[in-house]
Amino acid sequence: MSNVLIGAIAASSFAIGLFFLRYWRSSRDRFYLLFAASFLIEAVNRAAMGVIGVSELEPLHYCIRFIAYAVIVLAIWDKNRRR
Amino acid sequence: MAEIAYAACAITAGLCAWLLLRAFMRSRFRLLLWGGLCFVGLTLNSVLLIFDKMVFPALDLSVFRLSMGLVALLVLLTGLILDGDA
Repeated sequence: MSNVLIGAIAASSFAIGLFFLRYWRSSRDRFYLLFAASFLIEAVNRAAMGVIGVSELEPLHYCIRFIAYAVIVLAIWDKNRRR
Repeated sequence: MAEIAYAACAITAGLCAWLLLRAFMRSRFRLLLWGGLCFVGLTLNSVLLIFDKMVFPALDLSVFRLSMGLVALLVLLTGLILDGDA
């Protein structure tokens, strides 16, 4: 059951990443590019979790997730700074 | 080390939720609302992980926790599909 959920999370993150990539392509606003990067990092992280089969509680996954979330904070900070 | 990584994820996800929802309150740009709600769910997901691992180590909350993460992402995906004219 857990692996099914991890796979679904990876696929959802990938789809969200692609949406933001499309918005970036049409607007050229790097806010969307950073969002795309964050969700694509999470998609790869989750997929690796399922494929490699290491424990879901492995701290390395959470370090990568922290980086993905920090990219979102960076995107919002950068957007506010440019205003 | 693990505790720091889990806590860092929870704090950063909470910060993302707060920043996105605050930006939505100012701009009323709906994509920010969907993103904010997604990160509220991801924050709960990270908090549940801390409960699962440290407060109730005898219990396995993984299915509940992962379901919460999936629902959070599906909220954003739904918003992007239905409402995402960026």
